[in-house]
Amino acid sequence: MEKNVLIIGGGPAGLEAASILQKSGYSVTLIEKTDHLGGHLAVWDRLFPKGQSAEELLYRLVDNLGPVNCLLNTDIQSINVLDRSFSVILSNGNILLADAVLLACGFDLFKAEKKEEYGYGIYDNVITNADLERYFQEGDGGRIINPKKIGFVHCVGSRDEKVGNLSCSKVCCATAVKQACEMKQRFPESEVFCFYMDLRMFGRYYEDMYLEAQKKYGIRFIRGRVSEVSEKGDKTLLVKAEDTLSSKPIMVSLDLLVLMAGIRPSASGRRVGDMLHLMNEEDGFFSTKDSIYSQQKSDIPGLFFAGAGTGPKTIPETLNDARSSALEIDRYLKSNFPKKK
Amino acid sequence: MMDFGFTINKSSRIDLDRFDKAGFDKLAKIEPDVRKCIACGSCTASCSAGQFHRTSVRSAILSIQNAKENEAVELLKGCMLCGKCQMTCPRGINIRHLILSILKFYGTK
Amino acid sequence: MNILASYSSIDPVSSQEFIDRIPSGYSNFVIPFVAGMLFILTYLLIGFIRVLHHVPWPDRKKFLISLITPVTIVKNIKDMVLDCLIHVKIWKRKPLLGYMHSSIAFGWFMLIVLGHIEVALFVPRHLGSISGGGLFYPIFYRFFVWVNPDHETMRGNLLFFLMDFFLLYVLSGIGLALFKRVKSIALGMKHTTKPSIPDRIGLYCLWLIFPLRLLAESFTADLSGGSFLTRPMNMMFKSFFGNSLNIMPTWWAYSIVLGIFFFVMPFTRYMHIVTEVLLIMFRNAGLKVRKPRKGFAEAEIYACSSCGLCIDACPMNVQRKNLKFSSVYFIRFLRRHNNKRINDIAQKCLMCGKCLALCPVGIDSPAIRQAQRATLMNSLPYDYGYLSSRPAMSGTYPKVMYFAGCMSHLSPGIIKSMRIILKSAGIDYVFADEDGGICCGRPLMLAGRNDAASEVMKANKEMIENSGCKVLVLTCPICYKVFKEEYDLKGIKIVHHTQLLDDLIARGRIKVSKDGRPIVYHDPCDLGRGSKIYEEPRRVLAAVGELKRASKERDESICCGGSLGSLSLDHKDRGAVTEGSVASLMSGGPEEIATACPLCLRTLGEKSPVPVKDIAQIVCEHLR
Repeated sequence: MEKNVLIIGGGPAGLEAASILQKSGYSVTLIEKTDHLGGHLAVWDRLFPKGQSAEELLYRLVDNLGPVNCLLNTDIQSINVLDRSFSVILSNGNILLADAVLLACGFDLFKAEKKEEYGYGIYDNVITNADLERYFQEGDGGRIINPKKIGFVHCVGSRDEKVGNLSCSKVCCATAVKQACEMKQRFPESEVFCFYMDLRMFGRYYEDMYLEAQKKYGIRFIRGRVSEVSEKGDKTLLVKAEDTLSSKPIMVSLDLLVLMAGIRPSASGRRVGDMLHLMNEEDGFFSTKDSIYSQQKSDIPGLFFAGAGTGPKTIPETLNDARSSALEIDRYLKSNFPKKK
Repeated sequence: MMDFGFTINKSSRIDLDRFDKAGFDKLAKIEPDVRKCIACGSCTASCSAGQFHRTSVRSAILSIQNAKENEAVELLKGCMLCGKCQMTCPRGINIRHLILSILKFYGTK
Repeated sequence: MNILASYSSIDPVSSQEFIDRIPSGYSNFVIPFVAGMLFILTYLLIGFIRVLHHVPWPDRKKFLISLITPVTIVKNIKDMVLDCLIHVKIWKRKPLLGYMHSSIAFGWFMLIVLGHIEVALFVPRHLGSISGGGLFYPIFYRFFVWVNPDHETMRGNLLFFLMDFFLLYVLSGIGLALFKRVKSIALGMKHTTKPSIPDRIGLYCLWLIFPLRLLAESFTADLSGGSFLTRPMNMMFKSFFGNSLNIMPTWWAYSIVLGIFFFVMPFTRYMHIVTEVLLIMFRNAGLKVRKPRKGFAEAEIYACSSCGLCIDACPMNVQRKNLKFSSVYFIRFLRRHNNKRINDIAQKCLMCGKCLALCPVGIDSPAIRQAQRATLMNSLPYDYGYLSSRPAMSGTYPKVMYFAGCMSHLSPGIIKSMRIILKSAGIDYVFADEDGGICCGRPLMLAGRNDAASEVMKANKEMIENSGCKVLVLTCPICYKVFKEEYDLKGIKIVHHTQLLDDLIARGRIKVSKDGRPIVYHDPCDLGRGSKIYEEPRRVLAAVGELKRASKERDESICCGGSLGSLSLDHKDRGAVTEGSVASLMSGGPEEIATACPLCLRTLGEKSPVPVKDIAQIVCEHLR
C-alpha cells in the first residue's frame, strides 16, 4: 500500500513538494484553505530580479501536479499525533490518516494600518506592496491615476520594536526596487523615491537591478526612515523623513505612497502549529530541528516544514526548500516503513 | 622645513583615535540603549524642534562617537522633550532619557 | 502589702463615687511615659517651627490666614475627623482595612478623650495642672482612683462601659493588624510595606500598648472599677494569682512601652499620627510642594504612614523588580536623605497619579518627585532662541482654535476624524499646528525643567493670544492639563475634544447612529485623575455603542505605560505595564477599546488583541 502524505498549504512550496512526492510514488493529498492554488504567487505580477512572470511559474507548478488530490476551500479542523501517523479531521468532515505531514502554510503580510503614522486606511493615496502588485496584475479600479510623484517606504512592520517585530523581512527591499522600476515603466514621466534604512540586495542580479533603477530609471534613493505622513487638502501626501546622508530633515509631496509591508508568520499556520504544540521562536516563525542542518524537520517525527513558515524566503529558495523537504519525507517514510513500498 | 609662506589647515577628517571610549562607556552605563542606534533617522524626521533648529539624536550619538562631544550638546539643546522621537524609534531606544543623560554628561561642567 | 491600709486617712463613708487612692497623683512608674511624652512634645515643636521656617513667606501668610478663616476651620475639623480618625478613604475601597485602621485611630482617640472626661468629672484637680500630674494622670487614671462600691452611679458605669468597649474595639484592630502581617491579602492588600528597624520597634510597642493596658486595668479593676471586659479578667487573675501584687509590674510595663513608643516615634512611620493634622491644615490653606525635602514637602514626608496602599496602586508593580520604586519607599528614602536612591526612583515614575488617588492621607508623591527631578534637571543647558524667530500668525482667525499637539501628529486618524467632525458640525476653526508646532511644555515640566518649560509656554501663549481665538480645542490630555492649569489664558475656554463631542451630540450639532458593538473606555491618566473628566467620554461612547466597564476604571484606571512622565523606564518594562492595563480593559469583553489620548492609542495598540481607536475616530465612523 502506498504511504500517504498530507500537505497543508497550496502555495509554491506545497505544490512543488506535492509533485515530487507524487512522482516518487506516494499518495499525496494537498489541502488549501482558499479557493485557488498558488498562495501569494497567484496575486503577484512579475518576479525579481529579471521580471519573470509569476503566472507562468504558477501554471508550471500546477501542471506538474499530476494526479495529486487537491482539496480547495479546505482547512484543518483538528490534527493529532499518533504512534507512526497523524489523524486529521478536515473542515469538510473527512477524516484522514497520514503517514507524514508537510506544513507549507506560508506567510501573512504585516497589516500596514498598524503603522498609523503612515496613514494606511486613513489616507486614500497610501497603498501597500500587495495592493500595487494586484494593480500590476489586473488594474485597481481607478485608484492609481497617473501619479507624478511616487514614494516607496521600506521596512514597514519589519525591524521595528514598536510593532513587535525585530526581524528583517528579507525580500521587501528587492521587491521595492522591482516595483519602483515597474512604476517608472508604467509612468515614465513620474519621479520615484525610495526611503530605506538599508538596501538588502543580497541575491544574484539584485545589485544589477539596483543599478538599473538608478541609472536607467533615475529612481532617487533616500537613506532615512519616514516618520510621518500627512494629507493635504487635495489628497496629496506630505512625507517627512530625514536624509541621514546629508543629515537634514527632508519633506516631499507625493501623489502615491507604497508601503513595503513585511513578512509575518501565517496566522492559520500558527493555528495548526498550536494544535500540534509546535514551538515558535522569538521571531514568531516555527522552530526547526536544527537551524543550520535540519531546517525542514520539526521535533515531531513525520512532521516537516517547507516554505516561508520557517522564515522569509524568495521563490527560488522556497522551491529549493520544498524539494529538500520532499527528499526528507522520502527518506523518513522509507526508513520508518522499510518493508512496505 | 622650508617656509613656503602658508600654513596647512587642520584636517576636517574625523580622527577616531580621539574617541573617548571611557566616557562613552560611562554614558552607556547610564543609558545602555545608546549602543542600539542604527541611524535610521526617524528621530530627526519627527522632531518638533527640528523644523526650527537642527536637532538630531542620531547625529548627536554620531558626534560623540566621532570625538565631537560639543557638537552633540549643540544638537540637543533645542529639544523640548516632546517624545515623538521615542514613539517612532524602531529599536525602542529610551531617547528622552538618552538626551537628558547626554546633556548632563557632556553639557554640564 | 495591704493597699487598704493606706486608706486609713480617707473618710470611709464618703459619698464620693471615686476616691483619690493616691492623693499625690504620682507614682514612679509614670516616669518612662512622662520622659517619652516630653521628648516627643519638644521634638514636635522644633519640627513644626522648622517646617514653617522653610515654607516661603507667601505660603506662610496663606497658612496663617487660613487658621482664622471660618470656612477653612470647619473644613480642617471635618477632614481631621474623616481622615485621621475614621479613615473614610480606606473604608471606601477596602472596608476591612478601613475598620482596622479606624479602630486603632478612633479607638485610641476615644480612650484618651474619655479618660480626660472621667478625670474632669471625678477628680478635676488632677486635670491640666502640672503639679497635679495633668500630663500623665488621665492616661493612668485607673491606677490612681478607687471606686466607692456603694456609690456607683449610672454615669460612672456608663463611662466604664465605654472605656472597655473602646479598648475592645482597639484590640480587635490590633488583632487584624497582626493577621495582616501574616496574610495581607486577606485585608485586600497584595503587597505591604517592608518595615524598617525603628518601624518594627514602634510596631511592636503599638501592638503591646493595648494588651498591656488591658492587663493593667484588669488587675486594678476590683479597686478602680471596670466593665464587661476588665471585671471578668480581674476575677480570672484573682483566682490565678491570689493577690494584687501584680498591679505594679503591669503598670510599669504599660508606661515603659508607651515611653519607648514616644522615644522611637520620630524615626518611625508613626509620626503620621501628628503630622497628618498639620498636613491637612497646610493643604486646606492651599499650599503646594516647592522644594522636595523642605517646607510643605517635609510635612507630606512625615505624614506618610507607610501603609503601603500605594504599592498595589503603582502600575509598574506588575513586575516584582519595580516594587522598590513605589511611593512609600521614595518617601522613606527622602526622609533619610538617601540621595542616590531618591533620584533613581524619582526618574522612573510614570507620574500617573494613582498613588495619590489611593493614598488615605492624600500625599502628593508625583509633585514631590517632580520637585526632586528639578534639583537635577533644571540646570541642564537648553536654547530655545529659535522660538522667537518663528513667523508670527497674522490675519484674522476663526474663534475656535484646534491644537493637535505633538503626539496627535503621529496618529493621523485622530486629526482626520476631527476635521470631518468639525466640518459636519459646521464649526469654523483654525488648525494651529497643522505643519507641526511647539510642544505644549508639559513634558519639560514633568521632567523638572521648569525654566525651559516657561520659555516654551511663553511662546505658545503669545501665539494663542495673538490669534484672537476664544475656544481652544485639544485632542491630547497632556496638552489639555497644562493649558488649563499652567498657561493662564484669560478669556479663552479650554476644551478637550471629548467635552466638545459630548456637547455637540447633546445639542444635536452632529448626529450619530448607535450600534451594539461592545466598547470599553480607557481613562487616560491626565484626563481622568489629572483633570477629573470621567463622564463626558462615557456619554459620547454610550451614544454610539454598548459601553462596557474595565475591571479598574475612573480614578483607579491603570496607566497605559506610554506616559511621558517616566524618564528612565525602558520599552520592555513599559510593555509589561501596558499588558496589565490591557488585561484590565479586556475583562469587560469589548470588541474595541476606546481612548481619548494619542499616546494611549499608540501604546495600547501595541499590545491589544482588539482594535484600539480614539473617541473621535469612533464617532466619525458613526456619523450620519
